[in-house]
Amino acid sequence: MRTRLLLVEDDSGIRRSLGLALDDLGFDVLEAASGEDALDRLTGTTVDVVLLDLMLPGIDGLEVCAVLRSRGDLPIIVVSARTDTADVIAGLEAGADDFVTKPLVADELAARIRALLRRRRPGTERTETGPRRIGDLEIDLDNGVVRRSGDIVHVTRTEFRLLAELLAGQGRPVTREELLQRVWGYDYFGDTRLLDVHMRRLRRKVEADPDAPQLLVTVRGVGYRAAVP
Amino acid sequence: MIRLSLRWRVTLAFGLTCLLVTGVLGAVTVRLASQYMLDQRLESVRSQAAVNVQLLRAVQGNGSENVDELLDGFAADPGSSVLVGAPGAWALGGRTVDPAELPDDVVTDALDGATVDRRVTVGGVPALLVAAPVTSGRTVFLQLFPLSEYTRITRFLTLVLSCGVLAAGLVGAAAGRWASRRALRPLTRLTVAAGRVAAGDLHARLPEQTDPDLAELGRTFNATAAALEQRVARDSRFAADVSHELRSPLTTMANAVALLRRRRDRLPGTAAQAVDLLDAEVQRFQQVVLDLLEISTADQTLDATSFEDVDLAVLVGTVTAAAGLPPPEVSGPTLVRGDRRRLQRVVGNLLDNAALHGGGVRGVEVRGDAGRVRLTVADGGSGVPDAAKEQNFERFSRGGGAGQRDGGTGLGLALVAQHVGAHGGRVWVEDRPGGGACFVVELPATR
Repeated sequence: MRTRLLLVEDDSGIRRSLGLALDDLGFDVLEAASGEDALDRLTGTTVDVVLLDLMLPGIDGLEVCAVLRSRGDLPIIVVSARTDTADVIAGLEAGADDFVTKPLVADELAARIRALLRRRRPGTERTETGPRRIGDLEIDLDNGVVRRSGDIVHVTRTEFRLLAELLAGQGRPVTREELLQRVWGYDYFGDTRLLDVHMRRLRRKVEADPDAPQLLVTVRGVGYRAAVP
Repeated sequence: MIRLSLRWRVTLAFGLTCLLVTGVLGAVTVRLASQYMLDQRLESVRSQAAVNVQLLRAVQGNGSENVDELLDGFAADPGSSVLVGAPGAWALGGRTVDPAELPDDVVTDALDGATVDRRVTVGGVPALLVAAPVTSGRTVFLQLFPLSEYTRITRFLTLVLSCGVLAAGLVGAAAGRWASRRALRPLTRLTVAAGRVAAGDLHARLPEQTDPDLAELGRTFNATAAALEQRVARDSRFAADVSHELRSPLTTMANAVALLRRRRDRLPGTAAQAVDLLDAEVQRFQQVVLDLLEISTADQTLDATSFEDVDLAVLVGTVTAAAGLPPPEVSGPTLVRGDRRRLQRVVGNLLDNAALHGGGVRGVEVRGDAGRVRLTVADGGSGVPDAAKEQNFERFSRGGGAGQRDGGTGLGLALVAQHVGAHGGRVWVEDRPGGGACFVVELPATR
């Protein structure tokens, strides 16, 4: 079955050329020219991934992103024409799983989409299975479920994958580059802001005090480490 | 001739003025005071001499022979001398003096019946001499009153006032120094601000001046600096805007070309070649736009808040691994503070440069030593001529000479220089022993 994408982009040239190229790469592409249009389309159909331009007429991309995230765990890749730190971080904070900047080519986008979809299927890549514990957290690697003191914590697939990779480090530091490569599939330089924002979001969900993390610890100059007993 | 600074000239002027004013005042004071004291003394001396002459006449009229005793009584004043008689036949009382030292005309005038007084110096002692006739034409009365007390007081007064004048001069100079420093303080601030602007800090401004004499200067300076800053920002923004506007059409073009490229096999020969050409140029175009955007926004958006601790050795290792190169040689502490993405860009661009212009990477080293971390990328090319060693890091400089188009964007090393500069580091190129060039990046280490 072909993967179905929703491409939200107001520039018709980009929308059409990117749509054609993605279609050529084997994706089923739905197009939307505005935020309202995108939300309309999503009520009637299911898609696997949303490609979202941040600068849209009417409801802007950040708002669409927040609405979609409040509805569920639909994977979102933000497409931004701006690389400003504030812009990128705003998109990620609004709940996006990944971001790419223009000018972008379909090949690169396809790689991002595939990496994101791999994260959607728990246990398909990892050899490790079964429940794991750190602190008062219980992580079920088979079913992709995180419990904190018995209560289910809602994490996105990306956040879950990040947690799983840190656990796989067995208490040793995992470098930022390794995390970017394993979680997001970057085989070259990823943007560490991506990692930092996700880390922040994850900590807000699992740490007792996100400002003084006890479970997911920063290793200065290197990366992160799970405080495995 | 040595030209004194404004500050020294004001100091000197204050000092000299004080010296002059107090000096004149002091001199006049000494002069008036001593004159007054002399007049007082003269007054008392005259009256005392007149009494003495009266007494003498009375005694002589009685025919008493007790003149010598009387004379000693007259000279009760210590140091005072009394002479009675005529030239050649003096009767002396009090301190002994040599009559020959006394001025002749005074004696003559007294013999002629006049009462005379005069300042004289007898035996090295300044004194007041009073001469009066006792019996007309035959005997005169002479009395010397020493002025040593008066001289001492005058000297003391002069000394005290001289010291005062000197002190006033010094105080004046100090006041001048203080006043000039205070008056020049806004100028000092101007100098500091101008220095910062010259060093490249275009945000430097002067504080609002309250002094009407300086307000204009301050306003002009601030307006100039603001105009300069705006101009620089506008230039930078223009490049960013142009690149930004090119992103959308580029995205369209790149994706359309990608589509064609995948169908290359089905295209007739010439069309396929045209697609290849188009594909290569679109990719290069895209890279130029990206680099241009990065270089023009770097100085606007790079701030220390995005800085974190980065282990340069690990970062370089990741980049070399991604480029399929052996890991770098590492020694010493290699932790630096910086923006990870930009540092990756620096390393990547240096490796690209070596591959593109330097005949391939020959060695990568990361060495931490003495508070610095040094990254060295050695290549196996023909080296960089001395003339191009600086120029290499300028935008679109193409070290290989004009006309050589080799797939680079012409911005790679300029970006390296800009990013390294923003991290407080330096970058330069050296000759490698045995040929080839060595690009060196030096960054301050994190303690």
